[in-house]
Amino acid sequence: MSDSFPRKSPPIDGAPVSRSAGLLTKGSVILGLFVLWLVMYFGVRFFLEANPELERGIRMLLAFTPTPVFALFLWSFVQGIRSSDELERRIQLEALAVAFPLGVLLLTTLGLMQRAVELKFEDWSYNHVSPFFGFFYLIGILLARRRYT
Amino acid sequence: MRNRLKVLRAERDWSQAELAERVDVSRQTINAIETGKYDPSLPLAFTLARLFDVPLEGIFFPGESSEREKTA
Repeated sequence: MSDSFPRKSPPIDGAPVSRSAGLLTKGSVILGLFVLWLVMYFGVRFFLEANPELERGIRMLLAFTPTPVFALFLWSFVQGIRSSDELERRIQLEALAVAFPLGVLLLTTLGLMQRAVELKFEDWSYNHVSPFFGFFYLIGILLARRRYT
Repeated sequence: MRNRLKVLRAERDWSQAELAERVDVSRQTINAIETGKYDPSLPLAFTLARLFDVPLEGIFFPGESSEREKTA
Protein backbone atom coordinates (compact mmCIF):
# COMPACT_ATOMS: atom_id res chain seq x y z
CA MET A 1 0.00 0.00 0.00
CA SER A 2 2.66 2.42 1.00
CA ASP A 3 4.64 1.70 -2.17
CA SER A 4 1.74 2.85 -4.31
CA PHE A 5 1.48 6.14 -2.48
CA PRO A 6 0.95 8.85 -5.07
CA ARG A 7 3.80 11.26 -5.46
CA LYS A 8 3.25 14.94 -5.90
CA SER A 9 5.45 15.07 -8.98
CA PRO A 10 4.99 11.86 -10.95
CA PRO A 11 7.85 10.80 -13.22
CA ILE A 12 7.38 11.81 -16.84
CA ASP A 13 8.04 9.20 -19.55
CA GLY A 14 9.75 6.95 -17.04
CA ALA A 15 12.52 9.47 -16.44
CA PRO A 16 12.10 10.70 -12.89
CA VAL A 17 13.71 13.98 -12.07
CA SER A 18 14.65 14.22 -8.42
CA ARG A 19 13.83 17.34 -6.42
CA SER A 20 17.50 18.09 -5.88
CA ALA A 21 18.25 17.82 -9.61
CA GLY A 22 15.33 20.12 -10.40
CA LEU A 23 16.47 22.61 -7.79
CA LEU A 24 20.00 22.50 -9.18
CA THR A 25 18.72 23.36 -12.64
CA LYS A 26 16.54 26.18 -11.32
CA GLY A 27 19.38 27.41 -9.13
CA SER A 28 21.69 27.49 -12.15
CA VAL A 29 19.18 29.51 -14.17
CA ILE A 30 18.69 31.97 -11.27
CA LEU A 31 22.44 32.32 -10.73
CA GLY A 32 23.01 32.68 -14.49
CA LEU A 33 20.46 35.48 -14.72
CA PHE A 34 22.02 37.24 -11.74
CA VAL A 35 25.51 36.98 -13.27
CA LEU A 36 24.12 38.27 -16.58
CA TRP A 37 22.58 41.23 -14.76
CA LEU A 38 25.90 41.92 -12.98
CA VAL A 39 27.76 41.83 -16.30
CA MET A 40 25.22 44.17 -17.90
CA TYR A 41 25.24 46.50 -14.89
CA PHE A 42 29.01 46.90 -14.82
CA GLY A 43 29.15 47.02 -18.63
CA VAL A 44 26.67 49.88 -18.75
CA ARG A 45 28.32 51.59 -15.78
CA PHE A 46 31.79 51.53 -17.33
CA PHE A 47 30.39 52.53 -20.73
CA LEU A 48 28.59 55.53 -19.21
CA GLU A 49 31.71 56.57 -17.31
CA ALA A 50 33.86 56.21 -20.43
CA ASN A 51 31.43 58.14 -22.65
CA PRO A 52 30.29 61.26 -20.80
CA GLU A 53 29.65 63.06 -24.09
CA LEU A 54 26.69 60.81 -25.00
CA GLU A 55 23.29 62.43 -25.36
CA ARG A 56 21.24 62.58 -22.12
CA GLY A 57 18.35 60.53 -23.52
CA ILE A 58 20.65 57.76 -24.68
CA ARG A 59 22.42 57.74 -21.31
CA MET A 60 19.12 57.37 -19.50
CA LEU A 61 18.02 54.63 -21.88
CA LEU A 62 21.29 52.78 -21.29
CA ALA A 63 20.86 53.08 -17.53
CA PHE A 64 17.62 51.09 -17.79
CA THR A 65 18.96 48.30 -20.04
CA PRO A 66 19.91 45.93 -17.17
CA THR A 67 16.45 46.34 -15.58
CA PRO A 68 14.58 43.72 -17.70
CA VAL A 69 17.26 41.14 -16.92
CA PHE A 70 16.94 41.89 -13.22
CA ALA A 71 13.16 41.61 -13.49
CA LEU A 72 13.62 38.19 -15.10
CA PHE A 73 16.04 37.21 -12.34
CA LEU A 74 13.56 38.34 -9.69
CA TRP A 75 10.73 36.43 -11.34
CA SER A 76 12.80 33.23 -11.55
CA PHE A 77 13.97 33.70 -7.94
CA VAL A 78 10.38 33.97 -6.70
CA GLN A 79 9.35 31.00 -8.86
CA GLY A 80 12.27 29.06 -7.43
CA ILE A 81 11.20 29.80 -3.87
CA ARG A 82 7.60 28.90 -4.67
CA SER A 83 8.63 25.53 -6.06
CA SER A 84 10.98 24.82 -3.16
CA ASP A 85 9.97 22.51 -0.37
CA GLU A 86 8.81 23.92 2.97
CA LEU A 87 12.20 23.79 4.72
CA GLU A 88 13.92 25.66 1.88
CA ARG A 89 11.15 28.29 1.95
CA ARG A 90 11.70 28.66 5.70
CA ILE A 91 15.45 29.06 5.15
CA GLN A 92 14.90 31.68 2.44
CA LEU A 93 12.40 33.54 4.62
CA GLU A 94 14.81 33.65 7.55
CA ALA A 95 17.65 34.73 5.25
CA LEU A 96 15.56 37.62 3.94
CA ALA A 97 14.39 38.39 7.48
CA VAL A 98 18.06 38.97 8.32
CA ALA A 99 19.06 40.68 5.06
CA PHE A 100 16.20 43.17 4.77
CA PRO A 101 16.46 44.78 8.25
CA LEU A 102 20.26 44.88 7.95
CA GLY A 103 19.88 46.63 4.59
CA VAL A 104 17.44 49.12 6.11
CA LEU A 105 19.82 49.65 9.03
CA LEU A 106 22.72 50.33 6.64
CA LEU A 107 20.74 52.83 4.57
CA THR A 108 19.27 54.67 7.55
CA THR A 109 22.64 54.82 9.31
CA LEU A 110 24.21 56.19 6.14
CA GLY A 111 21.40 58.75 5.98
CA LEU A 112 22.13 59.85 9.54
CA MET A 113 25.87 59.87 8.86
CA GLN A 114 25.26 62.07 5.84
CA ARG A 115 23.56 64.55 8.16
CA ALA A 116 26.20 64.21 10.85
CA VAL A 117 29.22 64.65 8.61
CA GLU A 118 29.79 65.30 4.93
CA LEU A 119 30.08 61.91 3.21
CA LYS A 120 32.09 62.09 0.04
CA PHE A 121 30.65 60.45 -3.04
CA GLU A 122 33.83 58.45 -3.66
CA ASP A 123 33.88 57.14 -0.08
CA TRP A 124 30.26 56.27 0.67
CA SER A 125 27.34 56.59 -1.65
CA TYR A 126 24.55 54.47 -3.10
CA ASN A 127 27.16 53.15 -5.53
CA HIS A 128 28.88 51.39 -2.67
CA VAL A 129 26.04 49.95 -0.60
CA SER A 130 24.58 47.50 -3.13
CA PRO A 131 27.19 44.74 -2.52
CA PHE A 132 26.23 44.78 1.16
CA PHE A 133 22.72 43.60 0.34
CA GLY A 134 24.13 40.44 -1.22
CA PHE A 135 26.48 40.06 1.73
CA PHE A 136 23.60 40.39 4.22
CA TYR A 137 21.58 37.80 2.28
CA LEU A 138 24.53 35.39 2.42
CA ILE A 139 24.83 35.92 6.18
CA GLY A 140 21.11 35.14 6.52
CA ILE A 141 21.41 32.01 4.38
CA LEU A 142 24.39 30.79 6.40
CA LEU A 143 22.61 31.36 9.73
CA ALA A 144 19.41 29.67 8.57
CA ARG A 145 21.19 26.68 7.00
CA ARG A 146 23.26 26.26 10.15
CA ARG A 147 20.09 26.17 12.18
CA TYR A 148 18.22 23.60 10.09
CA THR A 149 20.87 21.38 8.51
CA MET B 1 8.03 17.89 18.91
CA ARG B 2 9.52 14.41 18.88
CA ASN B 3 9.05 11.90 16.09
CA ARG B 4 9.62 8.29 15.07
CA LEU B 5 10.40 9.05 11.48
CA LYS B 6 13.86 7.52 11.56
CA VAL B 7 12.53 4.29 13.08
CA LEU B 8 9.69 4.02 10.56
CA ARG B 9 12.06 4.73 7.70
CA ALA B 10 14.54 2.13 8.96
CA GLU B 11 11.77 -0.48 9.22
CA ARG B 12 11.17 -0.06 5.50
CA ASP B 13 14.87 0.09 4.75
CA TRP B 14 14.52 3.43 2.97
CA SER B 15 17.26 5.98 2.76
CA GLN B 16 16.53 9.62 3.59
CA ALA B 17 16.74 10.38 -0.12
CA GLU B 18 14.18 7.68 -0.98
CA LEU B 19 11.75 8.91 1.64
CA ALA B 20 12.30 12.49 0.52
CA GLU B 21 11.44 11.57 -3.06
CA ARG B 22 8.30 9.73 -1.96
CA VAL B 23 6.93 12.77 -0.16
CA ASP B 24 8.40 15.30 -2.62
CA VAL B 25 10.72 17.18 -0.31
CA SER B 26 14.49 17.45 -0.17
CA ARG B 27 16.71 14.99 1.71
CA GLN B 28 17.75 17.90 3.93
CA THR B 29 14.14 18.35 5.00
CA ILE B 30 13.86 14.70 6.06
CA ASN B 31 17.15 14.96 7.91
CA ALA B 32 16.05 18.16 9.67
CA ILE B 33 12.78 16.52 10.75
CA GLU B 34 14.50 13.36 11.98
CA THR B 35 17.04 15.32 14.00
CA GLY B 36 14.30 17.52 15.46
CA LYS B 37 15.67 20.71 13.96
CA TYR B 38 12.51 21.33 12.00
CA ASP B 39 8.86 20.56 12.67
CA PRO B 40 7.01 19.77 9.43
CA SER B 41 3.86 21.52 8.32
CA LEU B 42 0.55 19.74 8.88
CA PRO B 43 0.19 18.79 5.19
CA LEU B 44 3.65 17.18 5.19
CA ALA B 45 2.99 15.48 8.52
CA PHE B 46 -0.25 14.01 7.14
CA THR B 47 1.53 12.95 3.96
CA LEU B 48 4.13 11.12 6.04
CA ALA B 49 1.42 9.51 8.17
CA ARG B 50 -0.40 8.29 5.04
CA LEU B 51 2.82 7.02 3.54
CA PHE B 52 3.68 4.98 6.63
CA ASP B 53 0.03 4.03 7.09
CA VAL B 54 -0.03 5.14 10.71
CA PRO B 55 -2.01 7.85 12.50
CA LEU B 56 -0.35 11.22 12.88
CA GLU B 57 0.31 10.62 16.56
CA GLY B 58 2.04 7.38 15.58
CA ILE B 59 4.87 9.47 14.11
CA PHE B 60 4.78 12.77 15.95
CA PHE B 61 4.22 13.34 19.63
CA PRO B 62 4.73 16.20 22.07
CA GLY B 63 8.05 16.88 23.75
CA GLU B 64 11.37 18.44 23.01
CA SER B 65 13.54 16.47 20.64
CA SER B 66 16.89 15.29 21.95
CA GLU B 67 18.68 17.52 19.41
CA ARG B 68 16.87 20.62 20.66
CA GLU B 69 17.48 19.68 24.26
CA LYS B 70 21.19 19.63 23.46
CA THR B 71 21.11 23.09 21.90
CA ALA B 72 18.76 24.60 24.49
